[in-house]
Amino acid sequence: MPFNRKPQKFNASIKEVTIGCGEKAVTLGGESVFPFYTFDGDMKNAPKVGVEISDMGIPEVAGIKAYYEGCTTMAEIAKKAAAMEGADFVCLRLEGGDPNGANKSTDELVAIVKEVADAIDVPLAVEGSKNVEKDAELLPKVAEALQGKNALILSAREEDYKAVGAAAGLAYDQKVGAESAVDINLAKQLNVVVTQLGVKPESIVMNVGTAAAGYGYEYVVSTMDRIKAAALSQGDAMLQMPIVTPVSSETWNVKEAMASEADMPEWGPVEERGISMEIMTAAADLASGSDAVIVMHPQTVATISKMIKDLM
Amino acid sequence: MAKFVTIGERIHCISPVIRKAMEERDPEPILKRAKEQLDAGATYLDVNIGPAENDGEDLMKWAVKLLQENFDNVPLALDTANKKAIEAGISVYNRSKGKPIVNSADAGGRIENIDLAAANDAIVIALCSAEGIAKDNDERMMHCQNMLERGMMLGMEPTDLWFDPLFLVVKGMQEKQMEVLEAIKMFSDMGLNSTGGLSNNSNGMPKNIRPIMDSALVAMAMMQGLTSAIVNPCDLRLMETIKSCDVFKNNTLYADSYLEL
Repeated sequence: MPFNRKPQKFNASIKEVTIGCGEKAVTLGGESVFPFYTFDGDMKNAPKVGVEISDMGIPEVAGIKAYYEGCTTMAEIAKKAAAMEGADFVCLRLEGGDPNGANKSTDELVAIVKEVADAIDVPLAVEGSKNVEKDAELLPKVAEALQGKNALILSAREEDYKAVGAAAGLAYDQKVGAESAVDINLAKQLNVVVTQLGVKPESIVMNVGTAAAGYGYEYVVSTMDRIKAAALSQGDAMLQMPIVTPVSSETWNVKEAMASEADMPEWGPVEERGISMEIMTAAADLASGSDAVIVMHPQTVATISKMIKDLM
Repeated sequence: MAKFVTIGERIHCISPVIRKAMEERDPEPILKRAKEQLDAGATYLDVNIGPAENDGEDLMKWAVKLLQENFDNVPLALDTANKKAIEAGISVYNRSKGKPIVNSADAGGRIENIDLAAANDAIVIALCSAEGIAKDNDERMMHCQNMLERGMMLGMEPTDLWFDPLFLVVKGMQEKQMEVLEAIKMFSDMGLNSTGGLSNNSNGMPKNIRPIMDSALVAMAMMQGLTSAIVNPCDLRLMETIKSCDVFKNNTLYADSYLEL
């Protein structure tokens, strides 16, 4: 019997969200097929790769330090990140804002944001300090400072979506990331309430969270899977926002990426393990439905962007 | 599974306001009723112009254009005994939000409305009765089979025939209620879609009782596999029940604000 291909067609699609301006602007989403199901239809826009940099400078990883060698200012670091092979956008993480860490002031961080934004022409995403109180104050200021840049502000959470969503999505016309931690119901709820603030659905992306591969990752798969299924097969407009997943902040802190070779000789070189962790997690996030991943190591950026190209 | 489809029943010429608006081609009362129903969560709107023997074609065209132009091509159920009027309505109908529904065919004198739906790539509500109410489920399912075969012979997708078991009034036919629910289960087991005028059950009951009865019945009917109903979407209790049942049936993903969607 001959094999008859029957494409799986949906009458719905993921919304397109554009970040950045000009020639280097990138568009996320737009697909009406499951991740990389190019045999069913066109994905429209290839998933994108963001390069994470931090206000705390260059991390103590040999390959990353070597890549950024000679960079002394945030502007130089940002330029170098934007030039990385396979990079679509840069994500500046303001981890120094955490009151339990370096506790940098909002003014100091906003100055860094401006320095980075002025140095690059690729789209910029800015991630907060992860501290809810600080981010509720910091991210609206970041959104204000980036007027006209069409930046992605990460993230509006259950606790601070009003402050962050209203500033980024309404007052300063940026794109808003709605963040939940591997919780499908909350992911949908955040989209509903941010929309109810008056933010256009086309200005919202989801960060539904991730875990490093091996750390409860099956919940990440089922969350992203279920979201894409509801968005496409049930036409659920409150789940049709593209998914952006910051990966490196999860993967470089697990023991596989941190334990020294002296402590764990049978595991091999520590940097290789870190890269593997980052690549595996990012690849799995993309296969599960992420429309963009944010990673750090140049080798990860090159590998993941090649994977995307080969699968499209 | 897809979400439950609610067909708003409030644009009906039996209402004096709507009848007058239709006669005078006065858009306002009709648009107001349409907006109320869509705001309340209706998917389809039923447009009942009555027998409309004189100017049915012109009236249906006017109503279809009026509603679709004002409400982003809202999908409609065209409800009249005048076949030419249904065809006229379909001729100006925009399908971008869903196929038109022909309301309705039965297994008796109105069986040709299936042909009309088939010829126009429309959905048809197929009432499982011929002359009078089916006496039992054997008869109901015989009508169902006949109409299904007729539609499929004419090239229709089985899912484009929405079978109506004919909801019966509790006051007078209380002992028949479970039979109607069993018929829905049989449609569902055959993979068929179903719909009906659910509020028939509470006809003649006090106004404050009707939403309670309608909500209880819709929950039981959805459990049996009912995929749609012709309802008053402005009945908040009923709509809340439908949305909640859609969550239990995994037709829609739960979020705390699900009732506001």
